[in-house]
Amino acid sequence: MKKALSLFLVLLLIVGTLSVAIAADGKTYSFEIVSKGFQSTYWQAVLKGCLSETQKINDEAGYEMVKFNMVGPDSESDIAVQVNEFESALNAGPDAIGLAALDVNALNDNIAAAQAAGIPIIGFDSGVPNAPAGAVLANASTDNYAAGEVVAENLYAKIKDRILAASTPVRVGEINQDATSESITNRGLGFIDKFVALAAADGIKVAVVGNEKYVNDSTADKVAEADADVIIEVRVPAQTTTELCATEAGVVLNQPDTIAIFGSNQVSAEGIITANEMLGVCGSTDDMIIAVGFDSGTVIKAAVRAGVMFGAVTQSPVGIGEKLIQLLLAAAKGEAVQDTDTGCAFYTAETIDSDAIAPNLYD
Amino acid sequence: MTKLRNNSLIKKLGVQRLVITGVLIILFVFFYAMSPSFRKYSTIVTMTSYMYYIMLMAIGVTFPLITGGVDLSIGTGLVCYSIVGSFLMRQMGLPIWVAMLVTVGMGIFFGFFNGIIIAKLNLPPFITTLCTMMIVRGLGSILTGGMTGVWPMAGQDGSWFRDLLKYKINGTIYPVGLVFIILLVIFMSIVLNHSRVGRYIIAIGSNKEALKLSGVNVVRWHVMAYVFSGFFAGLAAIAYAGTFTSITPGTGAGLELDAIGGAIIGGTAMTGGSGSIVGTFLGVCLISLLKTGLPNVGLQANWQQIITGSILIVAVTIDMIRRRK
Repeated sequence: MKKALSLFLVLLLIVGTLSVAIAADGKTYSFEIVSKGFQSTYWQAVLKGCLSETQKINDEAGYEMVKFNMVGPDSESDIAVQVNEFESALNAGPDAIGLAALDVNALNDNIAAAQAAGIPIIGFDSGVPNAPAGAVLANASTDNYAAGEVVAENLYAKIKDRILAASTPVRVGEINQDATSESITNRGLGFIDKFVALAAADGIKVAVVGNEKYVNDSTADKVAEADADVIIEVRVPAQTTTELCATEAGVVLNQPDTIAIFGSNQVSAEGIITANEMLGVCGSTDDMIIAVGFDSGTVIKAAVRAGVMFGAVTQSPVGIGEKLIQLLLAAAKGEAVQDTDTGCAFYTAETIDSDAIAPNLYD
Repeated sequence: MTKLRNNSLIKKLGVQRLVITGVLIILFVFFYAMSPSFRKYSTIVTMTSYMYYIMLMAIGVTFPLITGGVDLSIGTGLVCYSIVGSFLMRQMGLPIWVAMLVTVGMGIFFGFFNGIIIAKLNLPPFITTLCTMMIVRGLGSILTGGMTGVWPMAGQDGSWFRDLLKYKINGTIYPVGLVFIILLVIFMSIVLNHSRVGRYIIAIGSNKEALKLSGVNVVRWHVMAYVFSGFFAGLAAIAYAGTFTSITPGTGAGLELDAIGGAIIGGTAMTGGSGSIVGTFLGVCLISLLKTGLPNVGLQANWQQIITGSILIVAVTIDMIRRRK
């Protein structure tokens, strides 16, 4: 009996020592990810990317090397909720924090606290623009200005001949859900600046009218409305609802000289589709208004497939999630990290099911 | 003015309702003259379509307002119910009529929930419905896992429910939803003014204690006011899903303000005891006209809000002055 007990104790000791050794070798990194919300399927796609990359890393390591907790407010106007969530994330003492900030100013104190505690922060989605210097080590995000340019290139190619053939000025609408968020304004401005530059190269003069923020911040070489061949009309609703986006889109679609319209995010693109349900003026042929959108979702995908919306730009939400986990792990290990543009692509009815596009579209 | 007030027709219609009708006509003519795009038939049809869900919420919320209460949960409630309805169809494969029943059923349930807490436990309506507003806001996201709600789109199975609101014949869209709305306004006016439940609800707002002393089961009728509100929020959820292409979880806060604003403009007293469904109808028409007309005359977003807010203040001030007289 004594022998058996001694043997058991020795075995216990060996197992204990071994497990300590394995644990020391295989550190588990825990991350807190504070997103802008779970309210749209876009964020579900980001989460999907995070989960698949975590699975991949853990499979390769042979144990749970990475684990994360993702939170986000219900709506993108819940700035105070996000501040609370960031505080809780900080208190959880993670190895690194991922952050898609709704309002950097509201988070300044907490970001400083994370810095003081030595917890690295990685930005994602639209990142953490204007963050205090050195606070955010890297961003995994879409270059929204470049994404706006991609829309302009594709739309301009589609309507160039119509503009050149027109005897009177034509109108291109741009619906932005707000004039405050960094990602939306950059997309809107990227579109305007590129469109004006492309048109100028063909000798076409462009005026930009409407929302003052966009008109004033655009660096493009614009002309007065009276001298223009193309008028870009920028409209921003009073609140960020589909209804008000649809009302603004309806006003543009009702103008007799409108030949194209761009909605710079999911809400505004869906606003255009909603407005068109009543008007039936959008399509892919030269006698219709060419509508282009941004992101995806069931409604936009259906409109692109049906040809009601000529095309849209998709970001890479799955790619953003994957890249975020990679950057968080590298930062937690103390390795050097740098900003990564997760890219975007324009899709139409022809390319919507292609291998390059389909994985990034969501319902 | 006194002479005018004594005229029996004017008395019957109500000075406030006549003033709103006048303002509606003036604004309509103004927008019509100023904006070529406003003159289009499609703009008018679009405006009526965007009005249905506000109108339904407003008819419902008029009842709690008349009791001297308020229901702030209808905006986020509307979004929650219609997302759950979409979830039942898309994820669980249930037919649309089940989704519609559940949508309205949820409205009635939360109306009842609000009513019991307010009438039975005597909690302030503002706080109670503010809490319910948060509960339903979170609940919609939890029940559906944060999925965006989409009801059957044109051409899909079950898209017939969209035809209930706007019917297309030979490419022309007819706003048939307006017929339902007008019938509902007439029916609910009768309920409010000529039925026991309506009279008791008005009495709760004007003198609850007297009603209690006369042996009436005040709690029951007080709860009914919130059940009406919830029921119409459920109907509004279907109208919303039929008008807009997708419904985003976590949104909806603020939608109730258009409905409450419409009822107040229409002469429902925030202190309770008086109000009318026809007034609410006119008030919502005014708000919807501003929402469509102002962007059409090229007014920027911030100015739209300033003008809408100012008109609300003027309307409430006129009402206050009228009551003091």
